[in-house]
Amino acid sequence: MALDAVSKDVSMPLPSEGNAGGLARPLLLTPGQDLKGYMLGHLGRAVLLAITCVSVVAVLLMFVFIIGKARHFFIVSDVVGSLSRVREFLTSTQWYPEAEHAEFGALALIVGSFYVTTVALVLAVPVGLLAAMFLSDIAPFGVRSFFKPVIEMLAAIPSVAYGFFAVLVVAPWLQDTFGFATGVNVWNAGLLLAVMAVPTIISVAEDALSAVGRERREASYGLGATRAETLLKVVMPAARSGIVAAVLLGMMRAIGETMVVWMAAGMAGQIPTPWWDLSQSVRPITATIAQEMGETPQGSPHFYSLFALGLLLLLVTFVLNLVSEHFLSRVRGGGVR
Amino acid sequence: MKVVGAMTQAADNRNSSNPSPVPRSGVAPASRRPQMPLKPQDAMSNGGPAGTERPIVQAEAFSLYYGSKAGVKDITMDIYPRAVTAIIGPSGCGKSTFLRSINRMNDLIPHTHAEGLLRVDGVNVYDRHVNLVNLRQQVGMVFQKPNPFAKSIYDNIAYGPRLQGIRRRARLDEIVEECLRAAALWGEVKDNLKGSALALSGGQQQRLCIARTLATRPNILLMDEPCSALDPLATAKIEDLIGELKASYTIVIVTHNMQQAARVSDRTAFFCLGELVEYGSTAQVFTNPRCKDTEDYITGRFG
Amino acid sequence: MSLRLRLRGLWNKGFTGLSVLAVVLLGAALLIVLAPMLYRGFQAVVFVETVEFRKMEFWELDRGDEEALQAEVAAIQAAREPVYALLDRFSRGIDVERQIDQARDVYRRYGEKLRAEQTPREAYTEKRARAKALRDALTDAYETADATAAREHLQVVLSQADEPWVRDTMLREYVQMARDYGEVIATIDLGRRQEYAQALDEVKAALRKLLGPRPREEVPALAEDRYGATRWDLVQRDVEHFLYDEQWVQEQPGEPLVRKWVPRTDPAQFGGTALEPLFGMVETHLEEMLRPRWRFYWQYFIDGSTPGHFFGGVGPEVLGTLLLTLCAMLFAVPLGIVSAAYLVECGGDHRMVRIIRTCINTLAGVPSIVFGLFGLAFFVLIVGRPCVLAASLTLGLLVLPVIIRASEEAIRAVPETYKEASLALGAGRFRTFVRVILPAALPGILTGIILSVSRAAGETAPILFTGAVFYGDVPRSLFGQTPALSYGSYGIATGDRIGMEMPHQQYGMVMTLILLVLLLNLAAIAIRHRVQKRLRG
Repeated sequence: MALDAVSKDVSMPLPSEGNAGGLARPLLLTPGQDLKGYMLGHLGRAVLLAITCVSVVAVLLMFVFIIGKARHFFIVSDVVGSLSRVREFLTSTQWYPEAEHAEFGALALIVGSFYVTTVALVLAVPVGLLAAMFLSDIAPFGVRSFFKPVIEMLAAIPSVAYGFFAVLVVAPWLQDTFGFATGVNVWNAGLLLAVMAVPTIISVAEDALSAVGRERREASYGLGATRAETLLKVVMPAARSGIVAAVLLGMMRAIGETMVVWMAAGMAGQIPTPWWDLSQSVRPITATIAQEMGETPQGSPHFYSLFALGLLLLLVTFVLNLVSEHFLSRVRGGGVR
Repeated sequence: MKVVGAMTQAADNRNSSNPSPVPRSGVAPASRRPQMPLKPQDAMSNGGPAGTERPIVQAEAFSLYYGSKAGVKDITMDIYPRAVTAIIGPSGCGKSTFLRSINRMNDLIPHTHAEGLLRVDGVNVYDRHVNLVNLRQQVGMVFQKPNPFAKSIYDNIAYGPRLQGIRRRARLDEIVEECLRAAALWGEVKDNLKGSALALSGGQQQRLCIARTLATRPNILLMDEPCSALDPLATAKIEDLIGELKASYTIVIVTHNMQQAARVSDRTAFFCLGELVEYGSTAQVFTNPRCKDTEDYITGRFG
Repeated sequence: MSLRLRLRGLWNKGFTGLSVLAVVLLGAALLIVLAPMLYRGFQAVVFVETVEFRKMEFWELDRGDEEALQAEVAAIQAAREPVYALLDRFSRGIDVERQIDQARDVYRRYGEKLRAEQTPREAYTEKRARAKALRDALTDAYETADATAAREHLQVVLSQADEPWVRDTMLREYVQMARDYGEVIATIDLGRRQEYAQALDEVKAALRKLLGPRPREEVPALAEDRYGATRWDLVQRDVEHFLYDEQWVQEQPGEPLVRKWVPRTDPAQFGGTALEPLFGMVETHLEEMLRPRWRFYWQYFIDGSTPGHFFGGVGPEVLGTLLLTLCAMLFAVPLGIVSAAYLVECGGDHRMVRIIRTCINTLAGVPSIVFGLFGLAFFVLIVGRPCVLAASLTLGLLVLPVIIRASEEAIRAVPETYKEASLALGAGRFRTFVRVILPAALPGILTGIILSVSRAAGETAPILFTGAVFYGDVPRSLFGQTPALSYGSYGIATGDRIGMEMPHQQYGMVMTLILLVLLLNLAAIAIRHRVQKRLRG
């Protein structure tokens, strides 16, 4: 590979010359002289900012409109009436919005959401954390490259497909194997929600575990700890914030899920009796909204009550989001405390 | 403030986006034709305090701060045109910081601010109204690690001229060939100008980057340790190239390699801990340094 | 000391094992969830079709060669003729009401004919009396439950069989009827006629399920009733109901009822009667009557369907989903890339940027049903009615955070040196971004877009009340409502009749959705893999 010698016969590219050997183009350009460039620069940045603020506007609008509609439900004649409305909403289990004397007690719905979310988390958190540790510390590279797409596929399957699976495959199986009265119940919904929440937990937890860095792990191994001990006693505590965030985000996923619980939870608006019998049907908030909105005339009290449910969901997920963001910032902020 | 720029329009400047018309030189006058590569010792005749020309870069008590930490402090030095000025010093002494200040590349780092004056051709580059596009087109930079674009070799080199508004294919072809020849790369790539620039070897990529920088026809070339990622053969070629270029360009080169500084430069500045310790002709700095620190560094006692 | 060490080692191994178990469990979950839906859904596309399917395809979906179909229909009618004939003969014996009506009808027509021939008064009366006698004998035979008495009555008719005034007139129908009935009562227990009648109805219904309505019957209103078993697996199921009687018996007192299949050829059913050979005949000639054939029904993905998705494909749903996601992307991609560009390039750390980021994260966390509510309250309000436009805007808002995050990541991943090189050559920030950074970030951005498309295609809740319908054609304008794979999968999963009759239609739709999503994800993974390889090597 012979390199060229510097050619001496061809004319060199020469610098552009100005007067008296100085620079050709002016370095100083006041806004007046370069009006177009100046304005374009600032205008452009303003336009970009405006476009980016669409997300802000969207969130604001969302709150405004949902609160706006929910307001019609809560705000009745006077303060006392409104407060009693709120109290009924939160404490009564009688949800009969279409009855003669309509009752809007959402407690059974709230408890329904709580039940399926709890079951989902109880199943998903251990599996998710173990899997995250496996992927970050235990698996060799090839194995990890194989399983990461598997987890991504699990996350990609649409919720209606999981719901379909719940109704047509899991429900009969539950009924036949365990002799439940019905196959669509808390177990069914909780199980599928767990499968849906696990990828979220794994991805956030894995990030948190990796962010702990090699030094702490090496220090622990250097002192003779086994891998399990290192993971459990050193890495996990160090990644504490991220793991909390992972669980919170998984919870958010489970709470907000609609199609699976609509199809798999049974839609019975009652709190299971006895409370530990998970083979009974429940009716989570998301499914209630989905089910009833189609049949409700716009502008009726029922209509607004569904928006009230929506507002509840929005507030809960908003708070969970803020809290998990707080924990996540501790992970990214260099330290893992 | 001095206003620079002649008012003549050259033929191939039709599409310039610059509001002020700019002149273009055609063929260089005879006195500026490239000469035989000069040996470092001959550099004495060019530049120096008694040199024939005005300094093209002037620093006056110039400091650059990263947040509250000073990258360089109180630098006062003059850089003369058509000469090679080397900046040496141990790691972290601010050489790159100073170099990158000249073409305002430090702006990319958040929370930097400058104090003092840093003039290029009489204009303080940290003035509020400085047009960065014009500045950087005329003060080119070659980086430590070759960074060609993920485009073809041709498009890499044509990038700069296209920015300046040159669109005619014939003219671009000319420029590309010129620059590749100047960078001693033409023979190796002339059959494959459309190939990806990323497919070249490290040394070829760096030469490509130099060619790319030359394509905008800058007056000043800033080189930030251009050979540190290259093998000795490629390094030698680039040092030759620098020797060629200095007849027409002002070159400021930051280098870790003292022998290289001694080989190619006319003047050398020694930085240490953000301050300019010594600055003079290369021969003097290397054979008869005035400061003890300089001597210690050159003789390898630290750094 | 070493015991403790051993324990720790065991604990370590156990932990490793548990974590492997967790991951394997997830892999198994993926398989378990996907396999049945994909396998059963696949059967909507690859299966053994019958002539009934080809008929359905021609009449409902407008596809097929008319001549070939006519030829086939002629052939199967020839094959089915004996079956129907046998059935008819037997049911004539059972369905006495009709026979009696028929006898009366013959008598009436005979009378009309006599009048038309202008028979003289006396002959007319005499002939009519004789015909009446036959008619009454026949009717008595039908009405009695005593086989002997019936045979006596029939004999009255049959004894006149060779008389010219019977044989050469329409009264010979009486003879045929008497003969048929004679055959029938030879084998059945007349006392059980009611039972036979009911069971016969079941058999006829099962046969109609199997073979479809008879050639000269009235065409039913619902498409699903117009054809017999369209697939061989349905044939197997329907033939069971034809050949066997499903009974629920209580074997042990106090125990739940158990299902038993009693063959219809059993003596308790139709065994020993004239109908018994029918079942063997049908069973052996099934293929001739239905002409099964393997079929790769790839048109499943483009065909429309009959109401309720009973027959046909998911074409409108696929198009609807593509339409919705395309429009959503048109809205979200430019916004997303620009927002990402702003956050990376002009970001910094001031309060506005932090607020923007919090809002993006909030949007990412909002439940999909709340998006649906917002779409209903806002977009539908603005646009005027639920339609593709409103639904796409809602979907676009849902995927906006995904695109912003992916684009941001992709833009940040572009090495800083690229930007430096471009700026150092005198390009402005905007030019640098458009000419150098964006092209380099494009694969990453593309991955994000593909993943967003996949997400949008799978979402149901946001489009529920903003523009999706369960059944219909893809609208011509953005202001109509559209079917979609996601909503269709929900609707079809909860349908009762279709679950019992055509489960493959259910699985087919959800399989199509899953395949679409999986394909998109695989494409994204492939692109990412290539990009990573390029960056590494």
